[in-house]
Amino acid sequence: MKLKHSLFTRRQFLNGLLGGWLGALLASFLYPVIKFVFPPTREPDQVILPFADFRDMNTVSVKNFLWGTKPGILKKKNDGSYLAFVGVCTHLDCNVSYLEEQRKFFCACHDGWYDENGLNIGGPPPKPLRRLLVSIEGEDLIIKREGGERAEDQ
Amino acid sequence: MKTGIQSWLDERFGLSIITKFLKEKTVPQHKHSIWYYTGSAILLFFTIQIITGFMLVFYYKPTLEGANESVARIMTEVPLGWIIRSVHSWSASFMIAFVLIHLLSTWLAKSYRKPRELTWMSGVFLLVFSLLSGFTGYLLPWDDLSLSATKVGTDIPRSIPLAGVWVTKFLRGGEDVTGDTLTRFFGFHVSIIPVFIFILLGVHIYLIQKQGMSLPLSAELKKEKVKEIPFWPNFVYREMIVWLLLLGILFSLAIFFPPSLDKAADLMAPAPEGIRPEWYFLFLFQTLKILPAKILFLPGDTLAVLLILVAGIVFFFLPLIDNKPAERKGKIITITALVLIVYAVAMTVWSLL
Ligand code: HEM
Ligand code: FES
Repeated sequence: MKLKHSLFTRRQFLNGLLGGWLGALLASFLYPVIKFVFPPTREPDQVILPFADFRDMNTVSVKNFLWGTKPGILKKKNDGSYLAFVGVCTHLDCNVSYLEEQRKFFCACHDGWYDENGLNIGGPPPKPLRRLLVSIEGEDLIIKREGGERAEDQ
Repeated sequence: MKTGIQSWLDERFGLSIITKFLKEKTVPQHKHSIWYYTGSAILLFFTIQIITGFMLVFYYKPTLEGANESVARIMTEVPLGWIIRSVHSWSASFMIAFVLIHLLSTWLAKSYRKPRELTWMSGVFLLVFSLLSGFTGYLLPWDDLSLSATKVGTDIPRSIPLAGVWVTKFLRGGEDVTGDTLTRFFGFHVSIIPVFIFILLGVHIYLIQKQGMSLPLSAELKKEKVKEIPFWPNFVYREMIVWLLLLGILFSLAIFFPPSLDKAADLMAPAPEGIRPEWYFLFLFQTLKILPAKILFLPGDTLAVLLILVAGIVFFFLPLIDNKPAERKGKIITITALVLIVYAVAMTVWSLL
């Protein structure tokens, strides 16, 4: 079928073509820029620590370990099992400290409080401290992410 | 009278267009004229930032291992280094303070009304970049205080829907604040932000020259004739008096109250007690502190971020919204401005208690 009038002029057509081409060119320049700006950072799937360092720890204090670029906190429970946390406040990311006398985690940034199981009990933190899974295999203490979750989803 | 060199240059550059313009430029004289001096005061402090910043860059090292130590060296070993750092730090505060005064004066006087909407909008960007400059600079000494402030500050955008996570990653150069963040902040602070400020200043100042200074709303409505003085030399000489006074205050404070420096930040150490951002973020800091974990169905900080975002957009478009300045709507907007000032001051005072 032949239209009586064309829908756009030759100039509009060519301008559209040129504009689209320029747009695509720009996008192809922007893509590598954006890729470049975000470095790949994945948190570890697991860290392996020598169990010997933690076997004799008491149930009053906590010990720190490195969880990728974040501090990890290991705590021994009364029944001898271990709890591991990412030692980072769920409010706005400050590192928390463990207050032994009060048996609580404290975040100094905006006075956030967690109980000894990492449950948020006071101040602005909206969620409990993030838990990590602890297992002991022979001489290794293995700390893993809980059920496939990614740090980005936090 | 033109000297030989002047006319030689003029033939090539055509500078006489500019000098002629400046000779004919006038500035209105009335009881609110004092606010006309705030813009050039910001320019003064910005210039000081550039000069002292260039000097600090000679010794500063933007790495995890070197940053804190290099600042310590500037404070103790480099000849007069402590004064340079102190002036840079004080002048940053002064610059922000004057940006805030300048903004409030143009807001309350409603000098953003037609045709000065774009002057205001370029001003809002200048505000954002001035604050960013202060924020990125705060990290560079790399002590406990600056680390915690940066962790919190860069985590705040995370609650923006969709884009937030990417903003946080962009600012940090990764998922967490690390040595990469420091290097990146250094880049923002010494090159990216200043370039944007320069471009925006060009727009801002061009618009002001093109449109001339605004008159008070009352005078404009009554079509009063307002007295004017020549910009050159009368107004510029008055500005120089203001600059000299401000320089005196700045250097006195810088010499008697140099900024402190704590031990180098430890990425794994708990946040120290008494962390606190720069004074111009205290109202936000206190707000985040008192917001409960959950408000209705949203986390408190998400709500705060969304509010700031909406407020920012409204603020940017304010000249278009406040289009009937002399009527009821205009008065409501003025009252809102006053309420916000009272809120910010009250929160700041509270955070210091
Ligand atoms: C780096 C920051 C800034 C610099 C260096 C700067 C500089 C200046 C200068 C030199 C003037 C002319 C003199 C005066 O009225 O004081 C001016 C006017 C103006 N500025 Fe800014 N400014 C900055 C930020 C801002 C901000 C944050 C706003 C508001 C959001 C703003 C809004 C305006 C307006 C509306 C005028 C016109 C005033 C009139 O014509 O009466 N500026 N600025
Ligand atoms: S970051 Fe921990 S309470 Fe805000």
